[in-house]
Amino acid sequence: MIVVRCVQPGDVEALVALAHETGPGLTTFKPDRDALTARVERARRTLAGEAAPFEAGYLFVMEDTATGDIAGVCGIEAEVGLEQPFYNYRVSTVVHASRDLGVWTKMSLLNISHDLTGYSEVCSLFLSPRYRTAGVGGLLSRSRFMFIAQFRERFPERLCAELRGHFDETGASPFWQAVGSHFYQIDFNAADYLSSHGKKSFLAELMPRYPVYLAMLPDDAQAAVGLTHRDTLPARKMLETEGLRYENHVDIFDAGPVLECHIADLRTVRESVLVKVRIGERLLPGEARSLVSNTSLDDFRCGAALGIPEDGAFLLTADEAAALRVNEGDKVRVLASQPHAQSRPALRNQK
Amino acid sequence: MLIVRPARLSDLDALERMARAAHPVLHSLPRDRGVLETRVALSEDSFRADVDFPGEEFYLFVLEETRTQALLGTSSIVASAGYSEPFYAFRNDALIHASRELKVSRKIHALTMSHELTGKSRLTGFYVDPEVRETTHDDAAHLLSRARMMYVAANRKRFSEDVFSLMLGVTDAAGVSPFWEAVGRKFFGRDFEQVELESGGRSRTFIAEVMPSYPLYVPLLPAEAQRVLGEPDEGALLAYDIHLEEGFEPDRFVDIFDAGPVLTVAVERSSSVVANEIRVVRSAQGNAETALPYLIAAGGAHEFRCALADLPSARTQGAPLSDDVKQALGVADNASIRCVPLHQASGELQ
Repeated sequence: MIVVRCVQPGDVEALVALAHETGPGLTTFKPDRDALTARVERARRTLAGEAAPFEAGYLFVMEDTATGDIAGVCGIEAEVGLEQPFYNYRVSTVVHASRDLGVWTKMSLLNISHDLTGYSEVCSLFLSPRYRTAGVGGLLSRSRFMFIAQFRERFPERLCAELRGHFDETGASPFWQAVGSHFYQIDFNAADYLSSHGKKSFLAELMPRYPVYLAMLPDDAQAAVGLTHRDTLPARKMLETEGLRYENHVDIFDAGPVLECHIADLRTVRESVLVKVRIGERLLPGEARSLVSNTSLDDFRCGAALGIPEDGAFLLTADEAAALRVNEGDKVRVLASQPHAQSRPALRNQK
Repeated sequence: MLIVRPARLSDLDALERMARAAHPVLHSLPRDRGVLETRVALSEDSFRADVDFPGEEFYLFVLEETRTQALLGTSSIVASAGYSEPFYAFRNDALIHASRELKVSRKIHALTMSHELTGKSRLTGFYVDPEVRETTHDDAAHLLSRARMMYVAANRKRFSEDVFSLMLGVTDAAGVSPFWEAVGRKFFGRDFEQVELESGGRSRTFIAEVMPSYPLYVPLLPAEAQRVLGEPDEGALLAYDIHLEEGFEPDRFVDIFDAGPVLTVAVERSSSVVANEIRVVRSAQGNAETALPYLIAAGGAHEFRCALADLPSARTQGAPLSDDVKQALGVADNASIRCVPLHQASGELQ
């Protein structure tokens, strides 16, 4: 069974190997043993309650329990921006109008913003190309929301996710070329690397201090604002299904969209239910699948299984129960993966 | 001969003709006859008034061929730009974006809407008949433009200590301004010429309503717009050079619509003050060997006259003038007149 679980100190080597699969472009996950060791240690301290709010962050790995292979990684930062500022552009609207002249013009402005300070951020998602089959990416991403739903008190009111922005056929970001390159004076990857490794002081020194009128930028740069990298579109769709929305915040380098929502409104938080484990044979496997996680903080595990909750219980095979480390009668959190018109009233009744 | 004198209500027909011929539109010389009449009346009042500090006054000058009494050009001074309203210009500021850690540093220019020129005296409304410009080898243009500073120099109390003048920015043959296309159009959604026609100047309420309230980063503007920033249009090069001769210099300011340069001079350091010589009029007896063209002004605040004439370069020789010139300037022998060489020997002002 493929499960997503909290990272363990012993996973560092596997993470380094996984990072070698990323190729160029993904600056947030590099095969840097020291950095990954520190990241894993930070996740451990967070679970142990030893991390200060500004450094609290969770990290999960996806494991094929049959082989022990580590196939993916994802994370949650508990509250961003509490140490280094969390920068975004807010795309705001200004209207310039003169009744005398009969002019009415609506324009967009890019304002440097720290609006998302204190939000949780889902981040650091990478799935090995070897495992990119139906449902696996969704499991990896959604497992975080299962964790949040289970440990709601560990998270603030709101959550965000930064998505990669638009890059053209040559691999260049039109937005970076039109805006960032003039200010930061280093190349995109260098800027992105520094920023994602907590070296953000150059941002304050170099960024545009005044708002930027969008209408004055070249067309391709304007079009890139809020546009998602085509490789990231599936991730965006998944997050939108979960309830996150583009609310006019974009990345300061590539203008990729930030998706946001209230944690209470997350589909997984609203619709997942706690039920009892039943272990047995699945006699009539239907097509419906659910996400299932245990309720353990330091040995959190989440996987996908056939079926939906019935009569306050969820049926797992013995193998699945072992992989999720639950026993008959334990509580598990269950989310029916596909919103299912017929199953929804039943789910509500069980709450 | 050509003289510059204050405009009169009786000049209205000729002024209206010139207002309509002027291109682009002169905001100080409205095309509407009724409005124009009000302007001329204001100018007459301004010249007549006893003024201790610059206010609402507006001084309108005309270039007249004394032989035919034909009017061939006009120019003006606004005593206090904007007066009770703000006068808008873009101030071009340099911002340093440097990071010690990254070892990078760059100067980034940004254009900020500024009211700093508000209340300063402004030269404006310059129009000279294209034909006379041709036949006089630009002397008419020099006379008409610089007569204003001759007036300022003789009437310092009426004007601010710094005087500025907006030069026409670059437009192409079709009247399209690259800067307007990149900036103004985004806010107005209209053609430059149309807005110039409708707007009526740089002190109007609509500017606050419509133009950008935040600074514009110059490097983010299209290359064509950056290229014309602070550049005078080809058609304004003569005016630009004339201003430089007077001692004007480009400053940090450019026009908010076409990014034409704003030239400024401290009256104290203008040619009309620095190179001014008070000479005594006498009758001319043949041409002096070393004669040079001079701007000559007479008549004080109310009956100002300015003309071009050759004078001996030695100040001690006074101002030998022909009867024509004396008559045109309204002066007799032994009168004191203000004389400023039309052209400065290079380096003289430094």
